Amino acid sequence: MSDDARQRLALAQTSLLSALVAGTPVPEGFDRARIAVQSRALAAKRADVVAKVAPELPEILGDGYRPAFLAYAARNPMPASGYRRDALSFAEHVISAGIVPAPALRRLKAWWEERRGPVPAGGSHVKKHTSRVFIRMGGGLRSIAPQFFTNVR
Amino acid sequence: MDNSLGTGIGWRPEIAEAIESMPGIDWVEVVAENICPGHLPESLTRLLDRGITVVPHGVALGLGGADRPDPARLAALAERATALAAPLVTEHIAFVRAGGPLTGSPRLEAGHLLPVPRTRDALDVLCENVRIAQDALPVPLALENIAALLAWPPGYEELTEGAFLAELVERTGVRLLIDVANLHTNHVNRGEDPVTALDELPLEAIAYVHVAGGVERDGVWHDSHAHPVSQPVLDVLAELCARVSPPGVLLERDEDFPAPAALAAELAAIRGVLAAAPATAKEAHHVR
Repeated sequence: MSDDARQRLALAQTSLLSALVAGTPVPEGFDRARIAVQSRALAAKRADVVAKVAPELPEILGDGYRPAFLAYAARNPMPASGYRRDALSFAEHVISAGIVPAPALRRLKAWWEERRGPVPAGGSHVKKHTSRVFIRMGGGLRSIAPQFFTNVR
Repeated sequence: MDNSLGTGIGWRPEIAEAIESMPGIDWVEVVAENICPGHLPESLTRLLDRGITVVPHGVALGLGGADRPDPARLAALAERATALAAPLVTEHIAFVRAGGPLTGSPRLEAGHLLPVPRTRDALDVLCENVRIAQDALPVPLALENIAALLAWPPGYEELTEGAFLAELVERTGVRLLIDVANLHTNHVNRGEDPVTALDELPLEAIAYVHVAGGVERDGVWHDSHAHPVSQPVLDVLAELCARVSPPGVLLERDEDFPAPAALAAELAAIRGVLAAAPATAKEAHHVR
């Protein structure tokens, strides 16, 4: 098999995934409505996983967690380094956007300050919550371990 | 049927206790990435001690992706198969990430299983990836058909689902994990008739079958694993069982867990379908 086949496949899959998670134009021939359904499903599941990895975030933000996360996700694809990084990036986004009331903002900043540094030996504070992440993923994807999404072990 | 698995359920920590006390559980499947070989959950260890087979089910390899499978992920899956003394490991026909050096664009993670186009290119890549995976794994590999919300445009569907799976099996000797809920999903979402798919795919390659519940919203089937198994899914199971006697059947539930009795009732319904299948259905067996 030639590497050309890999490259053609890579380009096709990347253009689809990019439309789904990075807001690039929908590739020709796809059903736009379905792309939107799939895109929302991916973002919703990402919000679920981040909520499991960093349960303090939905706790601090309450009902505002989900809309805030989906707004963030629409502009920021999942970091290749994983969900811990995603949770931190989301917190940074919320802090800098100034979209939460002062008491929640203070707690969020404290949460972020505690975790933003390099991962200490033995794992970060977030990691404490990531040893087992079980979440509905539908589509044949069952329980999701953090390492599924991350290169950081 | 000495190589048969029987009737099982997807092991999840939320229902670990229920599974241990449920009669008639022949085997379980565990999400490979959610366990650590040196620190198996006690409940899983107790099941292993009772002689219950535990099959690791991977979700992160992305064998349908354009890149060769990551050796570290393969080694991790192999390690889990060994730790569980599993007779096989399973994964999916899907891509889960894209971008990177082949494309000159940033890496993107889907965080989910996405359908591969059914092109010759995609099949060639998948076959090579499967052979790489088989070389790295200590036990046979079986691959699952996924549930899709979207379809690739017609230009990317050179082969039918059945023909794609048949050629994959023929070229690699890989076995199949057929998810009847996913066949139903693709019927609703992509207009692909499960009966046609079952007629075309190599039934003798089936290692086991998945059954799960979902929900239809606005004409789109969401394979939620959070709802009871519905009759259309059991009907697809019956269609499959009319053709072949599958070596194993497994119920998957991932969220909104019902009372143990409700899970037991779903398993009973599945056993009922198996029992009602005509005795003429031939047994699936190894095709390696």
